[in-house]
Amino acid sequence: MSVRLSPRPLSVASAFRELEDPKLGGVVLFAGRVRADPTAMGTVTALLYETHRAPALVALRRLEAEARRKFGAGRSVAWHRVGRVRVGEIAVIVGAACGHRSEAFAATRYLIDRLKQTVPVWKEVRARPERRPRPRPNPRRAR
Amino acid sequence: MTATGATPRRSAPPTGRVRVLLFSTARTAVGSRSLSWPVGPDGTTVRELAAGLARAHPRVAPILGHCRYFHDDVLVKGLDERLPPGAELAIHPPYGGG
Repeated sequence: MSVRLSPRPLSVASAFRELEDPKLGGVVLFAGRVRADPTAMGTVTALLYETHRAPALVALRRLEAEARRKFGAGRSVAWHRVGRVRVGEIAVIVGAACGHRSEAFAATRYLIDRLKQTVPVWKEVRARPERRPRPRPNPRRAR
Repeated sequence: MTATGATPRRSAPPTGRVRVLLFSTARTAVGSRSLSWPVGPDGTTVRELAAGLARAHPRVAPILGHCRYFHDDVLVKGLDERLPPGAELAIHPPYGGG
């Protein structure tokens, strides 16, 4: 079982190692990356994540316990970045290792859905305003 | 007037403080990450503090109804929960992780 709230980059390879267990054949990992979405302020360049650490860690541990109880997840990870996360970087990794694939998929889906609803993490958009092309001088007006 | 001639107070004077932590939209609406909220010797309730906060900072009023409250890092089950002097109340707007 592994929970993490970290300002450092998250590694899928490290998360996969956390799920290693010779008795668990179904392993599913989900990674969420920051998208360059268009917004009213311009294109997203980064998200600034903040958390209330103590309640957030309690909530993440509760999620892991639920994944174990509901889906028989023998091992799981629930990691979230905090601070500034740029476009393309991983903001969240969740995953589960179970006996078979169906429970592993269900557990991982449960982890990410419940993480978004119950873990005190908030994000703030950082965006770059779109550059508008300079209007060309109107030759008729110049006359 | 009282027997001593003093004007009676409507409520006990503040003798302590509750630390209020604000996150995300609640922080933006109030303009501060934390507040030191004056309370009487018996403290206050979450409901009273939230109402006072809404009066002092009207922009946060529409947000408070959607928030979760944590008293010393533990989820508040009911708004009538008491906050003694020295307590910490964290105000959590809806979450947006992932």
